[in-house]
Amino acid sequence: MSTVATDIAACAATTFGRWRVVRAVAVKELLDIYRDARFRWLAALTLLLMFCALVFGVDQVQRTDRDRVAAAQGDRQLWTAQGAKDPHAAAHFGQYAFKPQSPLALADPGIDAYVGSAVWLEAHKQNEVQFRAARDNPLSARLSSLSLAFVLQAMMPLVAIMLGFAAFSGERERGTLRQLLSLGVRPIDLLVGKGLAIVGVLVAMLLPAFIGILISCFMFVDSSMFSLGDQVARLVWLALGYVLYLGGFAALALAVSAFSRTSRMSLVGLLAFWLINCFLVPRLMTDVVRNTLPLPTALEFRQAIVQDKKKTFGHDESHPAFVAFRDRVLKQYDVTRVEDLPVNFRGLSLREDDENGYRIFDRHFGTLQEAYYRQDRWRAAPGFVFPLLAIQPYSMGLAGSDTRGQYHFTRAAEQHRRAIQTMVSDDLIRNGRYGDSTYVAGPDLWARISAFSYRPPQAWWALSAQAVNLLVLVAWWLAAGLLAVYAVRRLRPI
Amino acid sequence: MTNMNVLVAAMRCEWRILRLDPALWLVLAMILGMVAYALYNGETLVARQAAAVAAANTEEQEPLAKLRKGLADIQASRVAPPDAPFRDPRNALFVGSGSAATNVALPAQPLAITAIGQSDLYPATLRVSAGSKDSFFFADEIANPAHLLSGSFDLAFVLVFIYPLWILALTYNLVSGEREQGTLALTASCPVQVRTVMAGKLLVRAGIPMLVTVAAVFAGLALIVGGTLASGGQALAVLSLAIIVYGAFWVVLAAAVNGLGRDSAYNALLLVAAWIGVLLIIPSLVNAWSEARYPSPSQAEMVLAVRAASADADRERNAALARYQDEHPQGTALQRGSYRERTLRRLAVQLAATARSEEIMAAHEAQLQRQHDLAGRLAYASPALLMHDALAEIAGTGRSRYRAFFAQVDRFHREWREFFISRAQAEQMLTSGDYSHFPQFSFADNPGTGILSRVASALIGIGVPVLLLAAMAARGLRRCRVVG
Repeated sequence: MSTVATDIAACAATTFGRWRVVRAVAVKELLDIYRDARFRWLAALTLLLMFCALVFGVDQVQRTDRDRVAAAQGDRQLWTAQGAKDPHAAAHFGQYAFKPQSPLALADPGIDAYVGSAVWLEAHKQNEVQFRAARDNPLSARLSSLSLAFVLQAMMPLVAIMLGFAAFSGERERGTLRQLLSLGVRPIDLLVGKGLAIVGVLVAMLLPAFIGILISCFMFVDSSMFSLGDQVARLVWLALGYVLYLGGFAALALAVSAFSRTSRMSLVGLLAFWLINCFLVPRLMTDVVRNTLPLPTALEFRQAIVQDKKKTFGHDESHPAFVAFRDRVLKQYDVTRVEDLPVNFRGLSLREDDENGYRIFDRHFGTLQEAYYRQDRWRAAPGFVFPLLAIQPYSMGLAGSDTRGQYHFTRAAEQHRRAIQTMVSDDLIRNGRYGDSTYVAGPDLWARISAFSYRPPQAWWALSAQAVNLLVLVAWWLAAGLLAVYAVRRLRPI
Repeated sequence: MTNMNVLVAAMRCEWRILRLDPALWLVLAMILGMVAYALYNGETLVARQAAAVAAANTEEQEPLAKLRKGLADIQASRVAPPDAPFRDPRNALFVGSGSAATNVALPAQPLAITAIGQSDLYPATLRVSAGSKDSFFFADEIANPAHLLSGSFDLAFVLVFIYPLWILALTYNLVSGEREQGTLALTASCPVQVRTVMAGKLLVRAGIPMLVTVAAVFAGLALIVGGTLASGGQALAVLSLAIIVYGAFWVVLAAAVNGLGRDSAYNALLLVAAWIGVLLIIPSLVNAWSEARYPSPSQAEMVLAVRAASADADRERNAALARYQDEHPQGTALQRGSYRERTLRRLAVQLAATARSEEIMAAHEAQLQRQHDLAGRLAYASPALLMHDALAEIAGTGRSRYRAFFAQVDRFHREWREFFISRAQAEQMLTSGDYSHFPQFSFADNPGTGILSRVASALIGIGVPVLLLAAMAARGLRRCRVVG
């Protein structure tokens, strides 16, 4: 045995020596990766895509934000310039609430294109958020859409696979695995060394993307609405999610490489898994949950609300509920005619009808939202085997571009609608006279009613909603890691 | 031996070898399983849309029956006419803009189950009223947005994404495999052209997945769609042609890569890279560039402009009313809150909103068209994009059929408005005769633009690279290295 071999064998026996072996393996692996032209091409392409995604993303986020700010200002002008009119007529005119795009939509635009961005806050009705941007896009946008999330979720696992598929099988084919093991290098040290090198490269490739997002947050974030610290916290958790996702892929690639007889088999198996994870299973699960946990149609949803609303009186003064309410109010004020009430009965009845409506809207919209959540939970369930199902909702959630984020906005908009209704009804109650259709409120009331101002939820809110998906990602990472350990323990040198 | 005899002999030999390869049976099982599931899935979605249309049409009848009854009661003096115009079944403006609004739908074509296309983004029906177009055009169907984002497992997905992989799995080592086994040298030593032998091998290895896919699609459609499939004969023929042409692209690509004379692992990697480029990278760049070059117009801007027009009209109405009251101090016909004044006010506001929304929506449509035209031109960079578009066109769920539908809805909306608004402007009350003559919508596919003409350019766009790659493959195979 040569002196070098003896030294290595001696090193491999002590803790410090093992670390040196791990380091040597990692350095050698990094050198191999650097020399591999295939990797250089793939890495260059991936980084180029990241750059394009950032540039196009910044342009899109800024354009959307400009449009939103201009629209919100314009709507405010229209609201305050209404002139003197019946307060309830103003409530019918209503306001619009425009959804601000999360700054981290740059990292993951999520469902933003598939949900509306503006909602009309009018009297009596909770409207749905309108204008799905996806309706404007060409059909090709359904095939593939450039975003950092696409690069990180679909392209980066390929990089991990390219880095790891031949890690053990390649050594075996070249005969160097037998040499290494004969020197007393433990397979687990080989795994750690190679794993460190691969994860190091992946993290180095993730860094430009996250630094780019961070810089754009610092440059473009609207600090009146989004806290910078909160965005950074979201970004850190987002990065953790992607490290787990890609770390799992790296471990899986090493495991498959250790199991496979040839590098070609390893590559084919890993590519098949990549394809199933990134393209087949997401669509398959989408259809399974859509068919097994169906949502109501828009018509059914509307009809159910209309059915419940029939129990309330609206503007129908012959409705039994209206009569009952009037009798209750007369009794409360101890008078026999509504004209004798010290307050305006029309205003009171409008407020009562609104409040009855709120309970109905809360129930129906809440049930619909719960149905979305149920579908999302089931869709993400196989995420520990097919991690895209977990990283996708996790990434959208942290980026503030998921269904929960959208619902948070719709709830806030609805609360604002209710505040408008309450203020105009209260004005009518206090200042109007029953039967006097000439009463009008002035611009001071419109000015007192504030514009819609949205405070997006904080990072912890998004994180707590995504805790299960984070745990699933940890489980995926652990399972892939344990599989790699198991595989190297059974490592065959020949 | 003539070349033809060599070709036939090579095909026979290849079939004998291939049928012992488990990879072939795995690919065939996947073809049958995935095509069947995708068609079943498409059928489920189309059936749900059809049910939604039927439910909407049923729902439409109830308020209409109520209106007719209310009108009959008023005409027979059984009840007094209501004070509020929006409750009056004779009021043309409120009836046409509200309770009598009618549902219009794009009928599904026989092959609709093959591609979901744009159909999941639009509601099954639009409820056309005499109001401005924006008041009904942007209605959405309820759908989990995460599902819209991921897309469906329909036949279009299988054909565009998976079908190339079946072909590549059987053809990536067409020549390299023979070279690595040493059989290529043996073939070359025989008095036959290697190119002809390879062509025979290729015909078997690529022909089987292609023909089985076409057969599986035919069988699945015959089972699911049944009798109505006969009316989609042209669509079916064009679909088969598209499957063959798109498959041919991947076959000649594999042959061209084999012609480079590298080993099987290199071929596999290069073909996977090509698959990623054609299916993921080029489409994503095409979309990003089209959107950046011609950004989608702001819907918020449209909302605002329509609201501003309505508010202006309302203010003008106030001014007109004030003038009227100054000039007719004793007049009661146009008192604020009166039946007539409320109708005329609503009419003025509605007309202003309609004019403004039409103007803006036309400008937006033109802007979007520029984006789509650019994306359409850039789509020639990727056969997958062309195939994806072509499949949606064949299924009748593509952009061009939706454009035609929206154009016809637009014309119908004008007709509907004309019917009700003209009566409202003339202050005419609706009669029971009018109720029998409400405009009816019926979508007509333009007979001048058959399916083939809609997808011909896409098929040519795929066909041109097929020819170029075929020439490259022939050249490569002629110069191919015999030993590694």
